[in-house]
Amino acid sequence: MTSEPRAFATVDLGAATVSVSIVGKIGRAWRLLGASALPSACGPDVALAALLERIRRTDPSLAALLNIDGSGIDELVRLEVRSNPARTLAVVAATERSLGPLVVAARRSGWRTIAASAQTTDPLTMSRLLMDGGTDAILVGATDPPAADERGALGELAALVAAVALRRPDRLVVLAGGMAERLAEFGDPAGRSGALVLAPAAAVGVAGVSLQDLLVQLAGPSDDARRALGIAASTLADVSDRRVELVEIGHDGGARAFATPATAAGPATLRSAVVPGAGLAPADVDDDVIDRVLAWSTIASDRHRLRDRMRELRIAPWSAATGDGLDLRVAAAHAALERLIEATPDEGPDHVPDLIVACGGVWASMPPSLVALTLADVMRRPGASQLVLDHARLLGPLGTIPDAAERRTLLADLADDLLAPLGTLVMPAGLRSGRAAGRLTIHGAHPDGITELSPGELALVRLAPGEAAVAEFRFRDSVRLGGRGRQFAIDVAGGIGGLLVDLRDVPLRLPDRAEARREQLSAWQAAVRPGGPA
Amino acid sequence: MIEPLGDLAMVPMRRLIESPVDAVFALSPGDRVHVEVGESVVVGGPIADRLRDARLEEVSIPATADPVPGARWSRDGGSGPAGVHRTEESGELLFTWRGKWRLATGDVPDPLEAPVAGIIRDIQPGTSITLRATGQGIRGIVTLGGPTRGRLRLATSTSGGLRPSGLNVGLAGTILVVGTRVDAETLTRARAMGIRGVVVSGLASKERRDFLASEARQRAALHRLPPFAVLIMDGATRRPMAGPLMDILELLVGCDVAIISDPPTLVFDAPEVALPAPPEDLVRIRGGANMGREGRWLGLAGLRRFESDIHLEAARVRLDDGSVVTVALGDLERFG
Repeated sequence: MTSEPRAFATVDLGAATVSVSIVGKIGRAWRLLGASALPSACGPDVALAALLERIRRTDPSLAALLNIDGSGIDELVRLEVRSNPARTLAVVAATERSLGPLVVAARRSGWRTIAASAQTTDPLTMSRLLMDGGTDAILVGATDPPAADERGALGELAALVAAVALRRPDRLVVLAGGMAERLAEFGDPAGRSGALVLAPAAAVGVAGVSLQDLLVQLAGPSDDARRALGIAASTLADVSDRRVELVEIGHDGGARAFATPATAAGPATLRSAVVPGAGLAPADVDDDVIDRVLAWSTIASDRHRLRDRMRELRIAPWSAATGDGLDLRVAAAHAALERLIEATPDEGPDHVPDLIVACGGVWASMPPSLVALTLADVMRRPGASQLVLDHARLLGPLGTIPDAAERRTLLADLADDLLAPLGTLVMPAGLRSGRAAGRLTIHGAHPDGITELSPGELALVRLAPGEAAVAEFRFRDSVRLGGRGRQFAIDVAGGIGGLLVDLRDVPLRLPDRAEARREQLSAWQAAVRPGGPA
Repeated sequence: MIEPLGDLAMVPMRRLIESPVDAVFALSPGDRVHVEVGESVVVGGPIADRLRDARLEEVSIPATADPVPGARWSRDGGSGPAGVHRTEESGELLFTWRGKWRLATGDVPDPLEAPVAGIIRDIQPGTSITLRATGQGIRGIVTLGGPTRGRLRLATSTSGGLRPSGLNVGLAGTILVVGTRVDAETLTRARAMGIRGVVVSGLASKERRDFLASEARQRAALHRLPPFAVLIMDGATRRPMAGPLMDILELLVGCDVAIISDPPTLVFDAPEVALPAPPEDLVRIRGGANMGREGRWLGLAGLRRFESDIHLEAARVRLDDGSVVTVALGDLERFG
C-alpha cells in the first residue's frame, strides 16, 4: 500500500469469525479507529459496513478528517487475509522409519495429513488412499541417500505414485529426499496442471525445517492468515526489540511462531509452524479430542454428551457462548493449545520469550483473565513473560504487507492499539511443597504491598494496564526463574489480568479423579477472575 | 456491498434451497463405471459397480496392448489345471512393476444406482463420479449411509421424536421426516422394515455411533437390505426442526426425494410445488435458553452482558407468544 490513503481496512476472514478493523492516520501516526467481529457467514462487507457506520456516528469530525465520512466500504483500501480450510496431503514412504519425519514436517506445515508406508500398507490400500477424492496432494519421500531398508521398496512405491500422478495430473506431487532421483518416472512435468516439486529430505529437528517451510509455501495462498502471522511476529520482534512467541488457535487449526530480533550476536530469526490439528473444534471429534477436553473441563459431562457439544461447537461456533458454553470453549481452547504445543515441541525457545501474543478467534469469546490462565496452564516454562492479545486480529493482515519498512512503520504505530495487555506471567519452577515459598514485593506506582507466596497457588496481583512495576521475589530456596537463584527483581507490566505469579508445578499436575480435577480447575479460574479469591 | 437489510444482515443466513446440486459418488480403484461424461441418467439407472473385497493381482500384458494406468482390462481365464475353467479376470490397471501390471479386481460387484436423474458432469475412475441432479436440494449437516430414494412422509410434528413403536410396514419405501431426534434402535428397525431413509433435526453422538456400527455390519452382510440413509439437518442436540424448513418438507410430502451424502442433501424434483419464501425478518434461536424458538427481528440491542461476564453483541427478538427477548447475535440465524 502507499501512504496516500488516510484510512484503510483490515479483514481477517476465519473459518468461524470475520474480524474487521479500520485504521486511520491521525497526525503522523496510524491508529486503530475501531474493530468488530461477526460470524464469518455474514461476510466481511457486512461487518465493515457496520463498523464504518459506527465510526461515522461516534466521531463525524474524525471521519471527515480521514475522508471516510462519505465513502463506501468499496472505496477503502483493504488488507485481507483468510484462514483457508486445510487441504489434505497424503504422505507415503517405503518404511515406517522414513515416514515418521515426513509426517512430522507435514503436520506442522498447514496440511491435514494422512499417511502410509509400503512396509505396513498393501499397494491397493495405498492406491485407494492416493486416489481418494479428499486427497489434494501427495508427498512421497525417502532419506537421502536411501537407507538399506528402504531401497527394496522404493521402486514399487515410485511406480505406484507415478501411476497415480499420471491419472491425476491436477494433484500436487512432492518428491522429497532420495525419491527426487526418480523424477524421470513421473513423466513430463509440463503436461501436468498440478506441480511436481522436488524437496529436501525430511529430518528431525532443525535439519527438517527446510522441508517444512516448503510445505507451508505449498499449503496455502499468499493471503493465508497463518502464514502471514509468522511474518508479523518477526516484524513485531524487530519493532519491540523483544523475543516474541505467537500462538494462534482458530476454529480449523492453529499456528505458532517464535521470532527474535537481530542482535550484535546474530541476525533476526523466525521459526513458525501451522498445525491444522490444533483447531478449537476439529471436524473429526475422535476419542483423543474428547479425552483432552474432558481433562480440562470444569463441568461434569459424559463422553457422549461432550461429543455432542463439540459437534455443535463445530457446526455453530458462535452459538451458546455463555454459561456452560464458555466452560466448553475454555476447555476446548486448553486442549487445542495443548495439541499445538505438542505438535511443535522443538519450536519453543530454550529461553522464555519476553512477549507471548495470543491470536485467533477463540480468545475473543473468553474473558481476558481466562485467556491468560489458559496460556499459563498449558505453556509451562519457568520464566517471566508479558502476555498480550491480538484483540482486533490485525497481525495477520499487517503480515501481508510486502514492503518490510512499511510493515515495520505500521506495526510500530499500531503496537499499543492492536495488542491488548493481559498482564505478566511469572512462573518459577523447583519450589518445595509443604512450606511457604517466599515473598513478593511490588515496587511501583500503585503497589499492592507484600504478598506471601505458597507452592501450588496462583497469586494474582492487581496491576492495571499501562502500569509498570518491579516485582521483587525472595524465595526461601533456590528456584529456576530464567536462571537459578533465590532473589529476583523482574520488570513487570500491568494488564487486564494483572500480574499472575504461577507457583504451580512445572509441568502442571492435575488430580487423577475427575471430580477433584474439576474442583481444582474451577478454583484456579475463580482465582484469576475479577473479584475472585485472589 | 451490504444487502438492503440493515442490521439484520449481521445475522448469518441459512440458505434453504440450493440449486444446482452436484452429487459426488466416491469410487475406489477397481470399481467399474457404466456412464460417460455428458450422459443423462435416470433414477435407478446403474452408474457404476463398486467392488466388494477388492484385491490386487499381477498380470502380464503384452506391450502391444498399450496398457496405461486406470484402463480397464479383462481376459478369459481359459482352462486351468485338470481342465478346470478359470473365471474371467477383469479389473483396473493400477501400475506396472518389474514387467507385470498390478490389477485391482474382485469377484462381487455392488451396483451403484443413480438416486436422482441428471447429467454426468465428471468421472475420475478410481476416485469419483459427479452427477448434476435435476431439481433442487435442501442442505443438511451430514448424511449417514445412503444414497437412497423414497417417497417423503412426515413421521412427527416439528417438535416430535420417533420411537420404534411408531414404525410399521406400511412405511416401507418412504423417507421419514422426524422433528427433533431419533435413536439408533428406531433407525435400525426402520431400515429392517424397508424404510429408505430418515430426515431428522438432530442425532446424538451415541445414536450416531450405534447406527454406524449397525450400518457397517449390514454392509458387510452377503444379502444386503436396500440402501438407507439418515440426513441430519441441524446438529447433535435436541431442538425442533426449523419452521421454514418444515414448511417446505410438508409441501413435499408424497413426492419422490433422494438423500445423497456428498454434499449431504435432500434432493427433489417437484416443479409443480410452489416453495414458500420465509419472511425476511424471521429469525431462529440456535442456542441458549430459548434454543429452537423462532420470532421476528426487532433490531440490534448493542453490546450486552451475558452469563459468565461475557459481553456480546445482542439483538431483540419478538417470539411467537408475543414476548420480547434479548439474544446474543451469534445465537441467531435467518433463512433465505
